[in-house]
Order: sequence, then C-alpha cells, then structure tokens
Amino acid sequence: MSVVLIDSPVANVANIARALRAAGADLLVTKDADAIAGARKLVLPGVGSFIAAMQWLQANAIDDAIKRAVHDGAALLGICVGHQLLFDLSYEMGTTPGLGLVRGEVRKFEGPLPVPQIGWNKVTSSVLPEASYYFVNSYAALDSPHAVARADYGGPFVAAVQNGRVFGVQFHPEKSSKAGLQVLRSFVAWT
Amino acid sequence: MDVIPSIDLLQGNAVRLQHGDFALLTTYGDPEAVLDALDVPRGSRLHVVDLEGSRSGRPAEVEAVRRLARRDLRVQVGGGVRSVADARTWIDAGAEKVVVGTVAADAPEVLRAIVDDLGAERVIAAVDVRDGVVRVAGWERDARASLAEVLARVEALGIGEALVTDIRKDGALRGPSFDLYRSLGTKLRIIASGGVSTLSDIVSLARLGVDCVIGKALLDRRIDLREARARVATPNAIPERIVPCLDVRDGRVVKGVSFANLRDAGDPVECAMRYESEGADELVILDISATDAGKRTALDTVHRVAEALFIPLTVGGGVRSIEDFRALLRAGADRVGINTAAIRDPSLLARCAAEFGVQAVVLSCDAKRVDGRFEAIVRSGKEGSGVDAIEWCQRAEELGAGEILLTSVDRDGTNIGYDVELLRAVSSVLKIGVIASGGAGQLKDFREAIESGGARAVLAASLFHDRKLSIGEVKDYLESEGIPVRR
Repeated sequence: MSVVLIDSPVANVANIARALRAAGADLLVTKDADAIAGARKLVLPGVGSFIAAMQWLQANAIDDAIKRAVHDGAALLGICVGHQLLFDLSYEMGTTPGLGLVRGEVRKFEGPLPVPQIGWNKVTSSVLPEASYYFVNSYAALDSPHAVARADYGGPFVAAVQNGRVFGVQFHPEKSSKAGLQVLRSFVAWT
Repeated sequence: MDVIPSIDLLQGNAVRLQHGDFALLTTYGDPEAVLDALDVPRGSRLHVVDLEGSRSGRPAEVEAVRRLARRDLRVQVGGGVRSVADARTWIDAGAEKVVVGTVAADAPEVLRAIVDDLGAERVIAAVDVRDGVVRVAGWERDARASLAEVLARVEALGIGEALVTDIRKDGALRGPSFDLYRSLGTKLRIIASGGVSTLSDIVSLARLGVDCVIGKALLDRRIDLREARARVATPNAIPERIVPCLDVRDGRVVKGVSFANLRDAGDPVECAMRYESEGADELVILDISATDAGKRTALDTVHRVAEALFIPLTVGGGVRSIEDFRALLRAGADRVGINTAAIRDPSLLARCAAEFGVQAVVLSCDAKRVDGRFEAIVRSGKEGSGVDAIEWCQRAEELGAGEILLTSVDRDGTNIGYDVELLRAVSSVLKIGVIASGGAGQLKDFREAIESGGARAVLAASLFHDRKLSIGEVKDYLESEGIPVRR
C-alpha cells in the first residue's frame, strides 16, 4: 500500500519510515507540496515544538497541501507532535492555531508527574489494541469529541483521535514494539 | 490509599523524636501554625501523637487536641491510652478515633473494654515493631504477645485499622520496611509509619495496599501532601521499565566485572532483537571502545541495531560534543547518554537539551563510594572526578537532563544487588527518573531498586545476557509483588 511520509526536519523521519516499511508500506518520503496534496495516504510526523512544526508546514505550503489531500479523501495519520498539529490550537507559548482537522486544544501537562512524560503508558481504547505505548510529550489534548483512545498522566489525556479519515496518535508507534507496529499495519492496510 | 499527615506533640509544641529518644528532639512550634504552613486541606485525617502521654501513661495534650479537632480535621490521637477513661478523654476533646498502642499489645481486656465503650470503628490499634518483636510503653519493653497474635486479636475485636510502626525506621528517612508490611498477612487496613521519606516510598506502599502517616518528611518539606495524594490515587498508572544493556566494543557485545576483564558476548543486533521479543521496555547500548576507529564502528553498530529495533534505544559512551550527540541520534538512537564530557563541561548538557530536547538527554553517572560519600567517576570507571555524585545529578537535572542512568561502580558486574542507598539518595532529590544500574543478580534486586531505591527503570547486562534470568521472569516477579510492568 502506497504511503506518503512528510519529510519534516522537526521529526524522527528515519525511524518512522523504517517502522512504516516494516508495517508493509510502499513509502514515498517527501516534502513536495504537490506530492503531498495528491497523496491517498499521508503520515505527518513531528517531535519537539508545536510552533516550529507548524511554521515549517506553513513556510512550505504543506499545511494547505495536507488539507487539500484530506478534502479529496486521503487518509492521514499524525504522530506525536504531528498528532497535536491536527487540533484546533495549542497553548504552547501563547496560542498557536493548528490544522483544525480534529476538535480540541493542546495543553501542557499540569499534574503531579514530571514533565515531559518519557515512557510507556497504558492506553484504553475501543479502536486500538489495548496495550502500553511509548510516549514522549509535555503537551497533550486533555479531551476531544474525536478521542478514540485515552491514557492518564497525572490526569486523563487523549492518546488517539479519529475524525473520518484523519487519525492521530500521541504516542510513538515506531517505538511501541508489537502494539505500535500493529497500529501502523492497520493504517497502512486501511481502505 | 491515603496519606495521613502526622504531628507529635510535647508541651503544646509540634516536635519530632529520632528513634523514640527524648534526647534527640526537633521542635517545630505551634501545631496550628505548622498545619497552616503545611497546607493540610480541610476534612483531612490528622494523626496526633501525645508524646508526654505515651511516656507518662496519661493524656497530656488535651487542650492542643481540642484546638486541632475544631479545625475541620478528622483527628486520630494516640500516646498513653491505657484505659477506657483515657480513650474517652480524646473522644470528648473532639478526636474522631483513638489510637491504642500498649494495651492493644499487652492488655487485651482493656482493649476490649475500649472497643465496647467507643465502638470498634473509633479505635485504631497501634503496633510498634522492632526486629519483628512488638514493643510497648513508649518502646521501652517487649510486649508479651507476638506480632501475629496482636494483629489477630485486634481483627477479632472488629477493629478495622492497625498502625504498624517499624521503630528502627522512624524519623530516620531511610525508607519504610516494605518487607514487614508484605509479611503481615492480615485483613486489617494497615497504616504504615516510620521511615516514609520520599514520594516513591508512598507510591510503593500504596502498591501494597498500605496507607501511611508522614511526619518528619512533611515537616522538612521533602514531601508535598497534595502531590503525594495525587500520586497514590493511581499508583500503578506508569509501568516500571526493564532495560537490558549491551556493552559494545568494536561491533561486538562484551561484558566485564567493574569495567575490567572484558569477554566477548555476542552480536549486538541478535541480542537486541532477542531482548525486544522477550519484552524489554528499552535498550541501552554503551560503547566502551576508546579509539576514534572504535567510535565509528559504534555508529555503525547503533545504526544496525536501530534498523532492527522497535523500542526506545539509548546510547552512551564516549560522547564528547553536540556533534557526537547528533551523530548518534542520526544513527537511530532516541536518547544519548553523556558522562565524562558533561562533568568536564556541564554546559554540554544544557546545549544538547536546547538542541535536541530534554527527552533525548540522559546523564550517565558512574558513582563510587569514597570516604563515606558517593563520588562521580569518569573515564569508564577509571578515574575519580572529585565531584559529589548526588549533587552532580541534581545539577544535571537543572541543566536539562531528562533522566539519569546511575551506575554503581562498586556493584557493576558483581551480581550482589543494586546499591539501593545510592539510588535512594539520588532519586529522592530529583523529579526526573533514575535508571538503576550495576549489581543486579537476583529477582528481589529489581524489586528493591524500584521499591526502596525509587528507580523508574532497572538495567542489567550480564544477567540477561548469560540467561541467568529472562526479562519475562523479572516482569512476572515484579507483577506478583505488586509492581506494575508493561505487558
């Protein structure tokens, strides 16, 4: 199955590429806006800062390319900060608008646990395999009408979202062993 | 589970004794002012010990308890309750419950009379234990009954709670007696007392289904009450990690004792894949080659392992600069450990954290016992740095380390157990996690590193490599002992 992986400089693209290939993807890794706009299946990775990731998308017209692809019926998977970019906005350093493809807001963890969260956390879901997945994040959506998986880190947060053909996972499937590969396989095989 | 703040009263003041010794006394002042300062919320339970009462056998701090009970606190009072009249005195002063010690252990007929008068729900049995033996009368003599007999008697009277204190641990901040609480074998709700000094202690007790009172640690601001209560609400939310380690030189896995006597132990890619399939939560590769050629080989090794691995990969050894750090991330590492170079130039930690994020930065600290303290050791365990290991780890957290990989040089490769004292000393002063390393030899070592040492991950190399234990066995064991692991 052909998948376009967006080649963001603010992402661990090599690791995700490797995992997607292991999950059966016939992969094109690109930052070409036209290729992205024309994709049938897209993966948006990201690590680090929401603002830096969003600015890169805008500077390269990839934000519009993604929206066009989704409008034309492409399936999209956001990973980690790529997942956060799908939301309406983030409160990282003030407020920054996201792609607005799923409803909700991204906020910093305010519970008693150390931030960033670095490690495995149990995810409850009716859609994903119920397992522990590997998270590295200081920010998360605490709630969303599109949440399909949740976890708890000193308080509940959204571990995965789905709005039509748009998916996002806050965890790193490429680092979540068998359960993570299963999530990627499902996305790659999804029609 | 509940965390119950505790204050000891003497002559109207909040005080602490060490080891129950009136000569080792710290005074904290007016008890109400102390509670205000500690921000004890309304409706909270409050444990009060009348020290003069426990010594003299007569209630002494009645006025102070009356004032505390008016503050919308659920007060439980103990110390010197020897009769129905004593117990009545505390209830009349506004206490919700009476904590009965000496007579619970030594005078069953009096305990029964108190229960008949107040009702079992207003009585907490207090049992003070030293070396497995119940002590009474202000810890000054042995009780006539054994610990098991006392607990059985308390349970038979319909009392629901027992406050179990390990005298050796009280006020000493060395951690509670998890083994004691594990061994009680009673249906009573147990409140642990003595030695609870870190958040990790409280979480570990909650995992055993044990409540606790905290006194000294709260007064000394080592524990924040609200934070502690939030943590015990979900003590099993985050699984503890099992981390196999590959020491790699010239593209091969090697293992030595205390950083010396290296022997060849296999192909890193094969080892890594085996560990992931056995359930490893993360893999650590330590490059112990000393030469530049060796470093280039290590990059290739990391790349080959990363190609085959779908769990987080941490790589350390010989990282001297941002460029080294970046090269390892590019090769496929998720996190990079820095050791010697960071001690020589601490700003390297901050620069790497700014460039790659704190989640990518691991401080690798090798610590050795030198003249009664822990010294950070550099150059693969060969050379002292003069730097205090505990202070260095604190500094590293401030500079931007996301986690500490803490290796006991004394224990490395010995299989005699992690240095729990070292782990505790470091983990108790940090917010970030500590990976325990050096000395794992048997199952209980992993439990102690987490439970008493406060480690958030446990690392072993030769033990897993030589198949003396499998990762699955460690996970099964920890789970059976109430410690959450990833499945």
